Amino acid sequence: MASILDVPKPRVNCSMLSQFVNRAVCFVGRVEKVHPTGKMFTVKDGDGSSATVELNEPLEEELSGVVEVVGMVSNKGEIMASTYNMLREDKGVPFDLELYNEALKVIHDYPQHYPFQVAASG
Amino acid sequence: MTNLSVGAIEALANGSGWNDAVLQLLNIRKIDGGSGPSRFRVMMSDGRHTLSSFMLSTQLNYMAEENILAPNCVCLLKRQVTNMLKDGRRVVIILEIDVLTPADGVSGKIGDPTPYADGQNKGQHPAQVPESRPPLQQQQNRNEVSQPVKRNLKSDFTKKAPSALPDTPGASSKIVPIASLNPYQSKWTIRARVTNKSSIRTWSNARGDGKLFSMEIVDDSGEIRVTGFNQEVDKFHSLIEVGKVYYISKGSLKIANKQYTSVKNDYEMTLNGESSIIPCEDSCDIPMVQCDFVSIGDLENRDKDTIVDVIGVCKSVDEVTRLTTKSNREVSKRTLTLMDMSGKLVTVTLWGEEAETFDGSGQPIVAIKAAKLSDFGGRSLSASFSSTLMINPDIPEAYKLRGWFDKEGHTMEGQSLTEARSGGRFNENWKSLGDVKSEQLGHGDKADYYTCIATIVFLRKENCLYQACPSQDCNKKVVDQQNGMFRCEKCDKEFPNFKYRLILSANIADYADNQWVTCFQESAEAILGQNAAYLGQLKDSNESAFDEIFQQANFNTFIFRNRVKLETYNDESRIKATVMEVKPVDHREYSKRLIVNIRKMGAK
Repeated sequence: MASILDVPKPRVNCSMLSQFVNRAVCFVGRVEKVHPTGKMFTVKDGDGSSATVELNEPLEEELSGVVEVVGMVSNKGEIMASTYNMLREDKGVPFDLELYNEALKVIHDYPQHYPFQVAASG
Repeated sequence: MTNLSVGAIEALANGSGWNDAVLQLLNIRKIDGGSGPSRFRVMMSDGRHTLSSFMLSTQLNYMAEENILAPNCVCLLKRQVTNMLKDGRRVVIILEIDVLTPADGVSGKIGDPTPYADGQNKGQHPAQVPESRPPLQQQQNRNEVSQPVKRNLKSDFTKKAPSALPDTPGASSKIVPIASLNPYQSKWTIRARVTNKSSIRTWSNARGDGKLFSMEIVDDSGEIRVTGFNQEVDKFHSLIEVGKVYYISKGSLKIANKQYTSVKNDYEMTLNGESSIIPCEDSCDIPMVQCDFVSIGDLENRDKDTIVDVIGVCKSVDEVTRLTTKSNREVSKRTLTLMDMSGKLVTVTLWGEEAETFDGSGQPIVAIKAAKLSDFGGRSLSASFSSTLMINPDIPEAYKLRGWFDKEGHTMEGQSLTEARSGGRFNENWKSLGDVKSEQLGHGDKADYYTCIATIVFLRKENCLYQACPSQDCNKKVVDQQNGMFRCEKCDKEFPNFKYRLILSANIADYADNQWVTCFQESAEAILGQNAAYLGQLKDSNESAFDEIFQQANFNTFIFRNRVKLETYNDESRIKATVMEVKPVDHREYSKRLIVNIRKMGAK
């Protein structure tokens, strides 16, 4: 299987995770709770629903704020993260998760105008 | 000898009708109708009364011309229509008639009939009117009324009374719904309430002068606009009272010019010399005013210049102000704020007399029919001369609104659709550069303003700076006297110094198009990120640093508010675009607007 970095990673929110089982996705959410093991944390999307992110390696830094996670969706709807990236909020405009979520819905409601999937089949 | 239908004359004359009346024709004479076909006036007798106001319909003229109808003949009146004249007299139009006994078969006048006078013998012979057979006219009425009527208005103010069967004077000719009027039928009477009457307006042009007034009338089927000119103004204007119900007949119908009216009817009526307008006393079943109220919250989605009906609580009202129009006319103006159950507020402007007399005390319910929607300061409304303003109208919507406001609405803050002008936020007329061209902004008499998000694709650095008069408010270009002094023509002074000012030509582009624009001082400084004085200094001292600033400024994206106007120099017309304001893009606001636009497009 191609590396997760080589395949398209559709942006999704919690409600869409079930449609993307066993596929790579990109998820942006606010960090809620980090598991004591450091290998798992929960994120809340712009709808207010939560998803679980599992890491291969325990976290090496303190995680907070908005993160962008890239990973595969498990059968249980968890995101098996390959990478993540914290969006720093100390600079510039704070990230508006609700607005991001609205944009996500637009992308998914009008796939013909946002043909990000085409690359996947090609 | 034939028996005449005694009592038929009275029944015909008072409009109750009589089927198959046997009458004796006593006299017939020709009336010259001017340009039209000649008409025949007939005097008929039922043995008791005579009535001379029978008219032969023109298709039966041959019967008179060929002497089939001659004095003394006895006829069977098979079909007739009783029409009411303006002065209240009735005319019975004979539509179908058979001669039972020709004139030469009758010895003379039968009986000793007396001329029938209106009002005489009232109720004297009621038994003679056959009640089992409703008069023909009424049957026709009933058919007419039961016809399906196209409804284009949703809210009728009053409950539907079981329709308008004639029971008042004038009802003897066909009462038809307004919705059924058309230019191809001339024989009708409508029964309608006047909801709006204009003042008399005069005009004067090359073809002469004149005057006119118009009114809007409504029944439970619809509404129509009625206009009267010159003589009809004199005749009817003072007679018509707003709110009253009238029988109207014999108006000319033509296709409505929608430009001048918001009345929902494809036709409009012009009064002519034949037209009659008669007050109707029994009017309870005619709706007051027909309104199709739009929620204030929905005004945002309506186009500019749409005519709408609104109802709201008058939350606040400003003082009357007077202003002078371009034509040097002084008008009064007053603004008030309306709120409805959507929790939204909108500003309404009243003009003229309505502005002066409006009393907003006690937060009345205000309904406005045919207000004009403007995009001034977001969304606002204007009540023009064709609008109808109603304070605390007696309609269900008003009571509902009052109940809501007293219970919960009065505590609501409400969100205004109209931006406060002092807020400093200009009226954003978002356009793409493609829209600006396709909509030909700036081609009108006035300059157009629009706001766009665009990217700098080219800056012309040549001649972007000039030496300007150093006085505080003078930005006039100075002339270098070549002696260390600079002269300002406007101030008529020489200065030892000058200030640099910017006049920058930029090419800006968005996804749709690109556009050359001129940026003056502040906007140019915002684009270049440096002030004019520093730029002037760099230009004179460090050309490469100066160039670098222009390089850096390329491909930055801003919100531009531009003014466009078609300007003509030496017979060449071109759109001149000037940047009024440059602001950094607020991506959050921008995204929100894009999403709203996408959803709107998606909903179509």
